[in-house]
Amino acid sequence: MECKTHISVRDLSVFYGGAQVLNNISIDIPDKKLTAIIGPSGCGKTTLLKSLNRIIDLQDGVRVSGQVFVDGEDIYDPKVEVTHLRKKMGLLLQRPQILPMSIYENVVYGPRIHGVRNKKKLDGLVQCYLKVSGLWNEVKDRLHSPATRLSIGQQQRLCLARGLAVEPEVILGDEPTSALDPISAERIEQRLLELKSQYTVVLVTHNLRQAKRLADYVIFLYLGNLIEHGPTEQILKNPKYVKTQNYINGEFIEELTIDKELNLKATVCPDNFAKAKLALEELKHGQVLKIVVDYEVAVNEVPKAMEFEGHKVLEIKRINQKDWEILIQKRNGVYTI
Amino acid sequence: MNRRKIEENIFRCFMVLSTFMVVGSLALILVTIFLKGFPALNLDMLIKTPKGGYYIGKEGGILNAILGSIILGIGATFLALIVSLPLVFYLNLYVRKKSKFALIVRFFLDVLWGIPSIVYGAFGFTLMIFFGLRASLLAAMITVALLIIPIMARSMDEVLKMIPFELKEASFALGSTRLETAVKVIFKQALPGIITSILIAFGRGIGDAAAVLFTASFTDSLPYSLFKPVATLPLAIFFQLGTPFPEVQERGYASALVLTGIIFLISIVSRILSKKFSKRIIK
Repeated sequence: MECKTHISVRDLSVFYGGAQVLNNISIDIPDKKLTAIIGPSGCGKTTLLKSLNRIIDLQDGVRVSGQVFVDGEDIYDPKVEVTHLRKKMGLLLQRPQILPMSIYENVVYGPRIHGVRNKKKLDGLVQCYLKVSGLWNEVKDRLHSPATRLSIGQQQRLCLARGLAVEPEVILGDEPTSALDPISAERIEQRLLELKSQYTVVLVTHNLRQAKRLADYVIFLYLGNLIEHGPTEQILKNPKYVKTQNYINGEFIEELTIDKELNLKATVCPDNFAKAKLALEELKHGQVLKIVVDYEVAVNEVPKAMEFEGHKVLEIKRINQKDWEILIQKRNGVYTI
Repeated sequence: MNRRKIEENIFRCFMVLSTFMVVGSLALILVTIFLKGFPALNLDMLIKTPKGGYYIGKEGGILNAILGSIILGIGATFLALIVSLPLVFYLNLYVRKKSKFALIVRFFLDVLWGIPSIVYGAFGFTLMIFFGLRASLLAAMITVALLIIPIMARSMDEVLKMIPFELKEASFALGSTRLETAVKVIFKQALPGIITSILIAFGRGIGDAAAVLFTASFTDSLPYSLFKPVATLPLAIFFQLGTPFPEVQERGYASALVLTGIIFLISIVSRILSKKFSKRIIK
């Protein structure tokens, strides 16, 4: 398939007060692909993402120079209607930010302000996009109850539905899974994978495994500079530049060697914690333990507990309908309370 | 016993003492007014206007002042609201957060908050003369509105400041304008706080005597026109307590009890309302 360009960034620099956050970024973001922006914390990932729909204008003391072309139009041109631009881009924030109204109202808020008044059409939109975001079955009986009653994972899917309801062309995600539990995160990832055939998706992530799972194209930023970009395979396997290599090697092990495997299926709390902990104690620093669990609570709680112990959770992945695989790297940092 | 424990105990005593002083003084005020006023309170007082010689102990009631105060309070709160709401939305959504302008406006509001109400009364009186108005319900409403605008605006401002930035971001990201964000999102989120601010301002307005002393004048008849003088409870209390007759003074306490009752009621209503509206807001 040919890679069309959807968003072109030209010489984009962003300053917060006196500090330059982005330095002369020029890049083309491919159409109908999932592009991941990666890089260490504070490298300007979110700033780049948020300058694509000019939501960055809301920040105090921001100055932007350069151009961003969306559909051939420079969005920093003073003549551009910023509301139209933003309608083209759905934004998913790190922490889901629902609006203070009912589930139904959350979804129709966007379409309503863009002029859809017909009740039937709005009902249709709600049903359609709640289905797309995979929330419909859970909420169809309580569409008019406050959205605050949803769990945080459900709220993020509601935000996705709300973003899609204005019929955007692009979905921007600012680490949309980082505040979620593994199961909810996996659901959001699934949705994004499904959506990338119809939408251009740009995702900021600090999780290289997530980038590997989802992205077609990767942009690596370092201290506000664009270091490298290209197809995911190429960047993660054969990065050209030392900085990219260092970052990727520090954060991400391409082929994990699993030093020990532990089957915790049908094991419940506190047994699974104890077993995982014992298994990790037997390992040396840096070695990796693979755990398989089949119990939803364990998927959420075991990694949390191991992280609390000071170990590093590398990956949580669904392997089939019921089972989840959790990779944990042993760390020597011993935490005591 | 070790030193830290003693310290802990001493400061704890201070804290408990302060708390009891505040709670105790409220209780004491309520008890005093109740003990002095309740015996003199009767139905006549609540449903009749003063007849001739009411202030020397003859028949009648203070319905004129009760109604006058409520109408004046509602009118002034409404006037203050239509000024305060746009003001605070402007400060919080349209003006940059750290702009000098917002800083100055907030400073002005704080200064206005501190101005004594008698000064507002005098200012209202000058305004009245300038516009050729006579002491009337309208003039009093305007003056009381001026008095409570800073209170209302500043407390609403604090409410709006607490709104998470991400909520605005989420709304703007859907392509809404500032106005749509303000009215449809921020207003909903801030509603419980806005209601509380309104009712605080109402309570402050309804109880103020000095601002209405010159501007509302006083009358024995029920309020019937915006351009005629109006009776208010604080002044009714003032006049009754100022007479040398013990039974009229007791009626003064009864009137104070009525006023306190109204304010008490408002506080409860405001609690209930903000609780009702806080179901949907984001914590």
